[in-house]
Amino acid sequence: MRGPSVAEGRVAFQQVWKKFRRGEFHDSLRDLIPAAASRLFRRRRQRDALGAREFWAIQDVSFSVGPGQALGIIGPNGAGKSTILKLLTRILQPTSGRCGVRGRVGALIEIAGGFHQDLTGGENVFLQGAIMGMTRREIASRFDDIVAFSELGDFINTPVKRYSSGMNARLGFAIAAHMSPDVLIVDEVLAVGDFRFQRKAFDRLSQMRRGLPVVIVSHQLDRIASLCTHCVLLDHGRIVKRGSPDECISHYIMNGLHTEQETDESIPFAFTSLTVEPRRPVRSGEWVTITLRGEVRGTPPANLRLAVRVRALQTVKDVFVLDLSAREPRLSEPGQFVATMDLQANTGHGYLTVETVVWDSVERRDRCRGPHAVIHVNDPDLGGTVNLHPRLRVETQGALAETAEL
Amino acid sequence: MQSWPYHPGVDEIRDDDWLLPLQERRSLFGDLRFILRRELWTHRGLLYELTRRDIRVRYKQAVMGLVWAVLMPVLIVAAGALVRVAMAFVGGRPLVPEEVVGIAIKAVPWAFFVGALGFSINSLTGNSNLVTKIYFPREVLPLASTLAQMFDSSIGLGALLLVCLVVGVDFGLAAWWAIPLLAILVAFTAGFALLVGCANLFFRDVKYIVQVLLSFGIFFTPVFFEPQMFGPTGARVMMLNPLAPILEGLRLSIVYDHNLLSPVIEMARKGAVLAWSPWYLAYSAGWSIVMLTGGLLIFHRTEPKFAEYV
Repeated sequence: MRGPSVAEGRVAFQQVWKKFRRGEFHDSLRDLIPAAASRLFRRRRQRDALGAREFWAIQDVSFSVGPGQALGIIGPNGAGKSTILKLLTRILQPTSGRCGVRGRVGALIEIAGGFHQDLTGGENVFLQGAIMGMTRREIASRFDDIVAFSELGDFINTPVKRYSSGMNARLGFAIAAHMSPDVLIVDEVLAVGDFRFQRKAFDRLSQMRRGLPVVIVSHQLDRIASLCTHCVLLDHGRIVKRGSPDECISHYIMNGLHTEQETDESIPFAFTSLTVEPRRPVRSGEWVTITLRGEVRGTPPANLRLAVRVRALQTVKDVFVLDLSAREPRLSEPGQFVATMDLQANTGHGYLTVETVVWDSVERRDRCRGPHAVIHVNDPDLGGTVNLHPRLRVETQGALAETAEL
Repeated sequence: MQSWPYHPGVDEIRDDDWLLPLQERRSLFGDLRFILRRELWTHRGLLYELTRRDIRVRYKQAVMGLVWAVLMPVLIVAAGALVRVAMAFVGGRPLVPEEVVGIAIKAVPWAFFVGALGFSINSLTGNSNLVTKIYFPREVLPLASTLAQMFDSSIGLGALLLVCLVVGVDFGLAAWWAIPLLAILVAFTAGFALLVGCANLFFRDVKYIVQVLLSFGIFFTPVFFEPQMFGPTGARVMMLNPLAPILEGLRLSIVYDHNLLSPVIEMARKGAVLAWSPWYLAYSAGWSIVMLTGGLLIFHRTEPKFAEYV
């Protein structure tokens, strides 16, 4: 189906800088006249100098992605991830440096953005397909596949405004999934529809990306870990770490970029350090030692509890919480303390964050967050959050046949 | 420093003409060629789909359907006829049917101009989710609005043609002038549409200014009247409006079967009035070329800023 490409796809960023402005631009003509007048009397600013309300959204970012490579871009909110995607897809132009994509871009960004609410699903397939760069003939030949993939059935002749948000997203993904791009750019689209459809979308994406250069931006770090071959970690517009997804993800969490550390002077606990041994990926069921050093200042009230909380990355639910204030010796006397705990990493493959928090049992909220660390459980055969320590017995048909004969 | 994934100097990309921004100095002509060949021609399918969308959306859930396309010109003709009846009454002369036919012929192009601008002025701001998220040449948005209005107006034109045939207007050979004249009108409107669409993206008050100009523009454009009614100087001033020669050319060539290559001089109380000159035609054609190329170029040059300002 795919026509011969002129050249293989490629993504490149060469020392790209991008400047943005804070606050409002002059939005009406009335504001323009004074602005233009003041510009007349001022000297033209240098291109790489920052104005009063300007800031760098992207600073000196370089990377290139070739066929078969998948680059994951991670980082906290406001790190510049979306700006990079917009620069790649030519929506924005860099202030300095060069960037671009060679070949036909398949951008899984705003996959339902071109839908018109009054048009039917089928009409929108042609519209959205054209916006994504497909020709009418291509769309027509894949129309039945798109409808089948979206699982919309007869609803395809219903105006999109009557669709549920899941139906909307499914149709959008189905259209995007039937492009035949040279380069794939993905922005948080894997949260489409229910669990089963997400699985289907994920499988489809894995199939589509084969042999193509891929750029993925996501907050779902486990997805990045499983889809990407390379990764960059961004913070405040700069690349702070590049390497394998595992390296970048652990660096991301370790350095507190993932969650912000809060300190509060009124809290009677102060933390010095939190360490996890061994400092390497562990196998499921292995023991890790967590050491928390800190100081108790004054006498803590009964409602403030010092706790260690272990969370599976990306899920809100806690895997394990240990209330240190409930254990002996109670941390009620002022002075330094060292708390050491051995935990068995009885979880599936993935990342665990170890957080120290001061929990207010009356207000039922975290009053303060201390340092945190990460445990990387490397056991690709184990899925899920808990290792239930299976005792596995498998009998093959040959063995069964033998028992029957006896 | 890791050698992966980008090594400046080592991983030098030779065929880098796909990297943006292109370093070479841009010429006006080169830009124009780029817009037409690389942007509009390669995205003609998108232009088609967006035009289709605009047309479909206009008639979805509309009780009147296609009648709506005829309504606006009919109202303009009715208003014009009313004005002319009053003028004939004051002037103490009978109302000639040709006058009403002339107004009808000028009403449809005027309705097209107003409608196309009205729709295209919102085409970029109304699709801001597309403008900030997905790349495609943004020129297609105002152009699609213009094309959709063209579809509407051609229904009005068809209805007008039908009425003309029923009433018994005989079309002479000069009526073929309608084709180049309408082409000039469409080019002028498309250029204007690009300019206002892009200006409204940067300054939201452009929309209100243009709306006011369009609703009062009918008094400064010869739709209800002819320029020669204003005397020798008045007629010349009236014809400075780039739309005036187009509308007058349509009226003269269709109603009076006048060959537009020779001037028309009408005698009035204050002396001879130049009602038509072939130079008027050249003037309008010049305007539409300037408007279209200027519109495309200004649009193209400001396009990289769209996503930041919208």
